[in-house]
Amino acid sequence: MTIDPNSINVILATDCGSTTTKSVFIERQPDGTFRQTQRGEAPTTVEEPFADVTIGVINAVTEIGEVAGRKLVDEDGRIIQPAGTDADGNPVGCDIYISTSSAGGGLQMMVGGVVKQMTAESAKRAALGAGAIVMDTIAANDGRKPHEQIQRIRELRPDMILLSGGTDGGDEKKVTEIAERIAPARPQPRFGSKFVMPVIFAGNKDARGSVDNAFDESIDLQCVDNLRPTLEEENLGPARDAIHDMFLEHVMAQAPGYDKLMGWTSAPIMPTPGAVGNILTTIAERQGKNALAVDIGGATTDVFSVFDGVFNRTVSANLGMSYSISNVVAEAGLDNVLRWVHLEGMDERELRNRVKNKMIRPTTIPQSREALVFEQAVAREALRLAYVQHKEFATTLKGVQQQRTVGDTFSQKTSGTTIVDAMKLDLLVASGGVLSHAPRMSQTALMLVDAFEPEGFTTLAKDSIFMMPHLGVLASVHPQASEQVFTRDCLVVLGTCVAAAGDVKWGKPAFSWEMRGSQNAEGDLLGGQLKLVELTPGETATVTVKPARGIDLGAGPGNPVAHEVTGGSVGLILDARGRPIALPESRDEARDVVEGWYRELNIIDEGDA
Amino acid sequence: MPCFSLTSLLLVAEEAAAAAETAESTGLLNMDRLPLLGVAVFFVVAVVFWISVARSGGEINVREIAGLKAIEEAVGRATEMGRSVLFVPGIQDVSEIQTIAGITVLSKVAKTAAEYDAKVEVPVARTLVMVTARETVQEAFLAAGRPDAYNEDLIYYVTDEQFGYVAYLSGMMVREKPAACIYMGCFYAESLILAETGNSIGAIQVAGTAMPAQLPFFVAACDYTLIGEEFYAASAYLSESPAELGSLKGQDLAKVLAFGLIGLGALLATATQFVPSLQGAFDFFTGTLLG
Repeated sequence: MTIDPNSINVILATDCGSTTTKSVFIERQPDGTFRQTQRGEAPTTVEEPFADVTIGVINAVTEIGEVAGRKLVDEDGRIIQPAGTDADGNPVGCDIYISTSSAGGGLQMMVGGVVKQMTAESAKRAALGAGAIVMDTIAANDGRKPHEQIQRIRELRPDMILLSGGTDGGDEKKVTEIAERIAPARPQPRFGSKFVMPVIFAGNKDARGSVDNAFDESIDLQCVDNLRPTLEEENLGPARDAIHDMFLEHVMAQAPGYDKLMGWTSAPIMPTPGAVGNILTTIAERQGKNALAVDIGGATTDVFSVFDGVFNRTVSANLGMSYSISNVVAEAGLDNVLRWVHLEGMDERELRNRVKNKMIRPTTIPQSREALVFEQAVAREALRLAYVQHKEFATTLKGVQQQRTVGDTFSQKTSGTTIVDAMKLDLLVASGGVLSHAPRMSQTALMLVDAFEPEGFTTLAKDSIFMMPHLGVLASVHPQASEQVFTRDCLVVLGTCVAAAGDVKWGKPAFSWEMRGSQNAEGDLLGGQLKLVELTPGETATVTVKPARGIDLGAGPGNPVAHEVTGGSVGLILDARGRPIALPESRDEARDVVEGWYRELNIIDEGDA
Repeated sequence: MPCFSLTSLLLVAEEAAAAAETAESTGLLNMDRLPLLGVAVFFVVAVVFWISVARSGGEINVREIAGLKAIEEAVGRATEMGRSVLFVPGIQDVSEIQTIAGITVLSKVAKTAAEYDAKVEVPVARTLVMVTARETVQEAFLAAGRPDAYNEDLIYYVTDEQFGYVAYLSGMMVREKPAACIYMGCFYAESLILAETGNSIGAIQVAGTAMPAQLPFFVAACDYTLIGEEFYAASAYLSESPAELGSLKGQDLAKVLAFGLIGLGALLATATQFVPSLQGAFDFFTGTLLG
């Protein structure tokens, strides 16, 4: 459906999550800009006894309608479109209604390819980018025997399978073999006995015939352009589009109430993470920025990034703040978690007890200062580990021919290096309970800085009410409205972090700084210091930093750099702790140092220990 | 113990023999050459010490060698493209240390190819190299759990003639377009011909040689190049065996000592130009210490 963006004045959007359906209302203002005006939420009703997702949607939309003084749902329980007035002259309806969904576990996929690090990885990137959870990756070199692969496919209950492998004109044999392993496994879908398993083949075009022959009528095969037509090129678009189409045709059509919901929406329903990726990509493209967003949940942590126009998403399945908290501590190590705890008496034993208590009661939220400090310490490590996984996944293509000169003799870089560059990062966005609901904005800001270790100048923000999914699907219909609401209402700008990378020596001069603009200030920072400078929301200033020898703030080691910065709820954070952030080995000394940082950022007050 | 260590020990033995000869003619020990004995003892002790450290579980870090890391990538590329991997073990016989170092890398290539179910083709210029390569590849396929996939016909003898061999390889590369070309061994004039042909067919190329004159050609035309000592260190890097890692570390220490002596000699030579009284020390350094 083609919608004229100029005719859109009133937008209604919902996000059907596993537990809550969230709705937002966006209206065109007299000055022509779009602003989010109302929000509502209601429990999701995809499960029994309701088994109809539209009930939760109507409840959430009705809540908005009541607050906005606008009738949005008619007597038949349908959303009124387009916007207009009733017989009494009262406003009714909306111009477009859009929705995302992650109810029922979202989109769960299995992917396959010939070589794990090449076509299989591209298939994984395509699936993750489309908003799916990748349950497993099957490849010719995954170390499993054919019968083990068949057994694994049989055990999984994916919503669909994406199969890739072979460059165009390249391998046919092995990709067909993988198809021949999927066929006898007869993977069973999660929804409906009549459901035909969708398989998307995005591999060697010459192998389409043999792959088709491998499957019978129990598989709905769709062939799209190769993900890797050559190893030098990655073409994810057609596979992602096919995933979205299959998601609507097969998965959503089987989920309770979604057939009705699809009839209401003005644009195709998108998987929630796919929509988040969409808005991040749109913003990065329109503003020419490199952006990274994180959503930390109870069981998983999603990291999205756009660097130089390349979008990547990872789902860290076992890093979360409730059900996965034990795994976070196990992976990070107790010492790494404890290094962020400044309170005396919080030792390993105490930490273990708190972790196990959280495992027993995963949905509890911190009720004491100690519990909050502990939770934020774990969050730092969960975010750090998720970021490490993201960097490992977001890489340049592997198996690509290199161009060399004799100058490369001693510096031969391999392909497959990460494209995530902390120095090039412009915008870092936080969402998820522990970040969004931290009592103080400065706590969110410091958690981000400690975990992601941005370098140079980076704007820090948080998604106020997790509106990014709504805006992601809106971006496909009205990118301008989406961008306006994203910058004005969705993001709460925390401030700007100016961080030194390179050879920072603790106690020695790191950099001098000067701020001119809405606020004027200047000073020097020693290695290991953290400083907060007031710069309130809406204020801008030009910050000039002169780093010491060997220290880099974006213009190369020792070179001064000037940058315009924006203020925020926290302000300007000057970070001379170096990268990676290293603390003194002595636990007592480390505790004092961390306490000093927390005091500087007003995370703890003067009287607090 | 790796072959390069054997060579070093042979050199030490040679020195010892020379010393014994001197002792025979002048007495029990030639005291003038005593510092050289010290250097030899330092080398032996360093190697033995680090081997024992490695065997007792001590961690010996070998820096990442891009060329060896790229082998998986090269084999993966061949697998995705449905083409073969070409391995060239140089043009010398098994008596050449570089050929043996190349065969060590072939073992890794073959094991990776077995895991990926890719085809490795090894045309050789010496019959004994063919036999060695066949055994190596067979063992690698066995270790990877794919003995059935081993095909000895893919490892074959072409000719002893340098340019006959190169002409065959070039023709074969143009006709069959292998996705990856790996050159590991002793090369002469053929290095640039092979590397340029491989580059023109779009193959990923990994080269390794200790021939200084050929290195610039390989560096410019190949994707990855193992340079001199890196090529010899490949064995320790790939096997991770304590004996080889310890030996590598010990040799590195000996090299540090050699660099130190070179630096000291240069300083002394310069200093004698300004302070003539240091001439005696310089003579002792060059005449006695360095033999």
